[in-house]
Amino acid sequence: MSKRIFHHPEVHPDESGVTSWRSVGELERTPAFRAHLEREFPEGSGHLSEEDQKATRRSFMKLMGASSALSGLTLVSCRRPESYIVPYRKAPEWVIPGKPLYYASTRPRAEGSVPLIVTTYEGRPTTLAPNGDHNDGCGADALTHASVLNLYDPKRSRDFLKSGKKASQKEFEGVFGSIARGGGKLAILVGEDDCPTRNRLVEEIGQAYPGSRFYSYEALRGEARRKVQDEVFGSGSQTVVDFSKADRVLSLDCDFLGIDPAGSASDFSRKRQGGGEDYRHDISAEAMNRLYMVETAYSLTGGMADHRMRARPSQMAGIAAQVAAELGVEVAGYQDGGLSDAEKKALLGSVKTFDSWIKACADDLKAHEGKAVVLAGSRHGEDLQRIVIAINRKLGSYRGPVVVYETGRAGLGTIEDFEADVDSETTVLLLGPSNPVHERPGGKFGRLLNRARLSIHLGLRTDATALACDWHIPAAHYLESWGDTRTSTGTLSLVQPMILPLYGGFSELEILSQLISWNNFDWASLENDNPEEKVQPPVLIAGEGPAKAPSPAMAEVRKTFALPENANDDGDAAWKEALKDGYLQSSSYQTVDAEKASDPKAKLSSARPQGIEVNLLADASVWDGRYIDNGWLQEAPDPISKLSWDNAALVSPKTAKKLGVYESVEQLEPETDIPLLGKVKNAPKPSIDEGKNARAPMALIKTNAGRMEIPVLVAFGHADDCISIAVGYGQGASDRRDGVEVASEGDPYAPVGLVGINTGFNAYQLRADASFNAEATGVTRIKARYPVALVQEHNAMNGRALAREVSTREVEHHGHKVSFEEQVAKVREQGPVDSHAPENVSLYKRRGSKTWEKDVDKQEDLISDKIHQWGMTIDLNTCVGCNACLIACQAENNIPIVGKEQVAMGREMHWVRMDRYFAAPMEEMDEKTHKKVPTPEWVQDNPEMVPQPVSCMQCENAPCETVCPVNATVHSEEGLNTMAYNRCIGTRYCANNCPYKARRFNYFDYNKRNPLVDHNLYKGPFGETQVGTAPHLQRNPNVSVRMRGVMEKCTYCVQRLESAKIKQKQIGREKTLRAGVKSTEVEIKPEDLRVRADSIKVACQDACEANAVSFGNLLDKEDAQVWRAKYKGEKKKKNGITELIHNPRNYDVLQYIGTAPRTSYLARVKNPNPAMPDAAYRGLATIHTG
Amino acid sequence: MANFFPRWTNILPLKIAVCLGVAGAGVVVGFTYYATPKAQRVGYMPAQPIPYDHALHVNQLGMDCRYCHSFVEHSGHANVPSASTCWNCHQHVAKDSEKLQPLRRAFDKDYENFDGEPIKWVRVHKNPDYVFFDHSAHVNRGVSCESCHGKVNEMEVVYQAESHSMGWCLDCHRNPEKHLRPLEEVFNLDYDAEEWLAANPMKHPDTGDPLKTQKDLGLYLKEHWNIKAKESCSTCHR
Repeated sequence: MSKRIFHHPEVHPDESGVTSWRSVGELERTPAFRAHLEREFPEGSGHLSEEDQKATRRSFMKLMGASSALSGLTLVSCRRPESYIVPYRKAPEWVIPGKPLYYASTRPRAEGSVPLIVTTYEGRPTTLAPNGDHNDGCGADALTHASVLNLYDPKRSRDFLKSGKKASQKEFEGVFGSIARGGGKLAILVGEDDCPTRNRLVEEIGQAYPGSRFYSYEALRGEARRKVQDEVFGSGSQTVVDFSKADRVLSLDCDFLGIDPAGSASDFSRKRQGGGEDYRHDISAEAMNRLYMVETAYSLTGGMADHRMRARPSQMAGIAAQVAAELGVEVAGYQDGGLSDAEKKALLGSVKTFDSWIKACADDLKAHEGKAVVLAGSRHGEDLQRIVIAINRKLGSYRGPVVVYETGRAGLGTIEDFEADVDSETTVLLLGPSNPVHERPGGKFGRLLNRARLSIHLGLRTDATALACDWHIPAAHYLESWGDTRTSTGTLSLVQPMILPLYGGFSELEILSQLISWNNFDWASLENDNPEEKVQPPVLIAGEGPAKAPSPAMAEVRKTFALPENANDDGDAAWKEALKDGYLQSSSYQTVDAEKASDPKAKLSSARPQGIEVNLLADASVWDGRYIDNGWLQEAPDPISKLSWDNAALVSPKTAKKLGVYESVEQLEPETDIPLLGKVKNAPKPSIDEGKNARAPMALIKTNAGRMEIPVLVAFGHADDCISIAVGYGQGASDRRDGVEVASEGDPYAPVGLVGINTGFNAYQLRADASFNAEATGVTRIKARYPVALVQEHNAMNGRALAREVSTREVEHHGHKVSFEEQVAKVREQGPVDSHAPENVSLYKRRGSKTWEKDVDKQEDLISDKIHQWGMTIDLNTCVGCNACLIACQAENNIPIVGKEQVAMGREMHWVRMDRYFAAPMEEMDEKTHKKVPTPEWVQDNPEMVPQPVSCMQCENAPCETVCPVNATVHSEEGLNTMAYNRCIGTRYCANNCPYKARRFNYFDYNKRNPLVDHNLYKGPFGETQVGTAPHLQRNPNVSVRMRGVMEKCTYCVQRLESAKIKQKQIGREKTLRAGVKSTEVEIKPEDLRVRADSIKVACQDACEANAVSFGNLLDKEDAQVWRAKYKGEKKKKNGITELIHNPRNYDVLQYIGTAPRTSYLARVKNPNPAMPDAAYRGLATIHTG
Repeated sequence: MANFFPRWTNILPLKIAVCLGVAGAGVVVGFTYYATPKAQRVGYMPAQPIPYDHALHVNQLGMDCRYCHSFVEHSGHANVPSASTCWNCHQHVAKDSEKLQPLRRAFDKDYENFDGEPIKWVRVHKNPDYVFFDHSAHVNRGVSCESCHGKVNEMEVVYQAESHSMGWCLDCHRNPEKHLRPLEEVFNLDYDAEEWLAANPMKHPDTGDPLKTQKDLGLYLKEHWNIKAKESCSTCHR
């Protein structure tokens, strides 16, 4: 019997001219993709690997013999092994065994620190969540959530290194002592975060060490922007956008919702909801903001944009200048440097279209004077930065959404100053998180370190810079150290340690404060021969002083805190209050009067590269390279390209065709090497393939500065004649890949550990100067191919109207106009059969009912809890697809990483799958002929991008439950589709039957066996285990760690729900004590046992900066945000039954198959400007696949 | 053709079936007797580093469970006391007893064998890692320590009194009335429902009949306190 394939209903041909796709294969409908769709699991994921197939009878017997011998041994001692309870010797304050303890702390960051609540279990920090009570509590990004794993990174530096070789602390203390005694000239390079205590110490060190200077640097902070801002607004100034006041935003390659933060992303999302952010009101088109985006490669912000234009990086300034010209801003050199007609034509089809795009955009900005803002990408050059400041000034943005702050960074030198200042007299101290030897162009930073008298590096990793310096000191993670820092608006926030340094690392403040204290030390007293007056030489202190005295860093932070500009009194109360809150109320930066600042001197240079351009990007996973050893981030697929564990060169389909890469996607793999037969010509097979066979074609890219070989991927919506490559990868490889330093797996002092080794290619080597753009002198396709772990087609859900979109503008439908309100009202009917799908009928009679009729009065309810019924909504209007939820879920639910090879096979374990679709209208109705004609090419080449996070939907009629042979997945009374992991026998029927593909299977013991060690998983019991290694300290003790052969999935963080419910149960005791009566007299009502509305947050919801996830108890009705997101109200029908009125934007995915999911989605709203030439093509991206 | 099999083989299948049946039954009986939690766990009584006597401390000295297991009402874990808790009294009482030397080694800095290592108590009641039992959920709803741990107040050496198997858990989750008692009596291990009802007469709110037995009281409390012990998997497994 052949397999029955479910056919999704057809989309009516008139319905939509929009085509949606995830990958090239899907767009081109390659035969392989179609075969793949019909398969239950990605190819290879459910099959034995070659290794396993090689298992012979002999090896099987060997294994079986060994295991039965072992079981014989254990049978002798049949009793379970003795285990121990080891209580504290002296119980620490606040710690209750088994209960989490929450601390407020802050993650220092260049773009303004992130206030956090850290969950700790018996002293181990396990998960991070944004501090919602903080003044600037704006949410935390994926990098922040993943930073807790860096604390436990087994590759973290733990030894002092002298020229890359292990040395003792004693020896270093000798060196440190000689520096401190000498008091010579220091050049200290710090990060771009603003640390008030460090700023205070800068002055003290300047006095103790004459001629010393501090510099700040992080690779992705944009040196050109810093230079221009320092010049215009004063040294150390910082621009922050208040998106709650921004009605119109034009972003010129600034990914402010993704990896180029410019202000609170939460405020942007709130504004995006047009007054409906808490679902008490409908979205109003007038109150919604509008986002225009001009960018090179697709970014998350680009996905949110109402209008988007693709342009090469060198054209950004020209486009900005044209906008400026429309607004009447003088830009020197615009006449010569503006975009030529040919360029305009290449961008938007015709000069007229281009000019009208710019004009309509500029007019819209002008109409919202004082409420509009133009943003420039941080990696762009001076021209763009200057023009944008001039435009913002003209638009009155500095009176509205844009605030310029005076930070504590004033006076710090730049990296260029540093490079110029270091001479043979200087002692160099590198304290920041950056890795300049790897990042700076042309390898000149390494030579500079040689020039210095002495170079000392403090860092978490033994990266290239650590190895290039004379000395390396292991650093403490921010969760291990005392510190203070400022958020983007300047709120003083405290960093407090959760745990003593795991590997004895030093914090930056400890080093700086001891530089001073050692300098003040009476060194002469050491020479005193009198044994009674003998003084011990000082010892470098990390974490805790002698006799458990607090770290010297704490004393310094405390001192800064007591400064008059911070706390008014030096009392303990204020300090304790601030520690508890994580920040000091009423502290903020001084603002700069931007209106009175100097002229930005907007200018435009006319030189633009003619050939293919190289555009270097920040990476959503490794950032500037510092997270290369973070397994969670490496495994999280890139939000746009969906590539994990690597970077790749992204090119537009057109450029790919030009390079001969696009065809190779459909073209055939020429030959394979088969043992005995030799090279054999292959049958037609798509070459990028899928699963573990996925191989991307490679290209050789040359610039004036360097060359690199890198795999090429086709990126939709990318500018033509341009190549985007993310930086940060390629820091060490054992496979001799081109341009990457050689590292070996076992070497504890290699620049990368097991996670980061052999990942990606080093793109920094393409730059000749500090700029992130370069002209390619040659791009050639090379023969080699590179295995890639692309997840875009893994667990591909198929169906109609998966993600839905409407437009605030009237759209044409069957020849008549449909208004915004009507479109919203019809969201629930966007699926082809949703409007007339019959209601589900139960096969079973309800208890108490005699018939199958819906005789509501007589029947008893189904088994369902009267206190809690959980539900969730995901608002696609605010979801940007940033992966923060995915990482937070991984931290909360003990989800393992599986390694690149396993990801390639489709075995990734993420419970949240971030789907990303492209959609573009390919056909439109010609107004004259009333026939379908293809849309213009520039529309087709610029599809919309729609992210959609999918995890288990907790279906009320769950298809997975009915097929489980052992009842391991069953429904709870509260509407959860629960998993009893210990009961699962791993038949995988449930995953097979899940229409949302939300289940994940442990093909191996990923938690126990390290998947990153080569072939380790295939060695079974003989493989290397990783139990008890540092990353296991991160585990959440309230969630089972699943083993091999077990199916797992999201259960709405049931551990959080249960603990909240149990907490609520204490009410009996509380009520008894309060009433002062016997407990038997106290009545406990169902309402007493109900957890307060919206008091529980699940991990993904907590992580979401955009507030796109609502979760709660549906029985709380209007009090719960999730209920308001799902329903607008109730109405009584004639027969007395109350019926819920749906929120029109809310819909169930795959409603027509009748699963009745508890997670529903809210349609995305685009707010296009009717005057724009592309307005008619926006807001149509309703996704149909399969 | 001659008979290939001799005559006695006719009865052989029956013999084999009987033997297999007996052997099978033996395995089943043996397994249920020796390998189920009831046989495996009940009565487990390991020696502890300090032979702490619950009977002495509770019944003779009148200490409450919560003096040592202090977080049982707040946390899922009923914590074993830290050495500092023991030291509160034992710095004054029986300090020099041979039995208390492990405590002094852990805590008494003046003791010559002091090493600061915490005491390693041997775990008596152990649930599998995938079971998330919560003490606070039970003691705050009128389930006594005694229901699961037996009469610890009479144990000189603590042993496991109940099987703690899943079936045993469900027995109570299905019929909680057998174990519910007033919150004031949760930590009173000598509690007797009938005595208590005699001292605190109660009437059924609907019928007006006096409550007499544990079951009467249990049913009353279950109703009155809205106790709906869950049986869904995620209650204990997650």
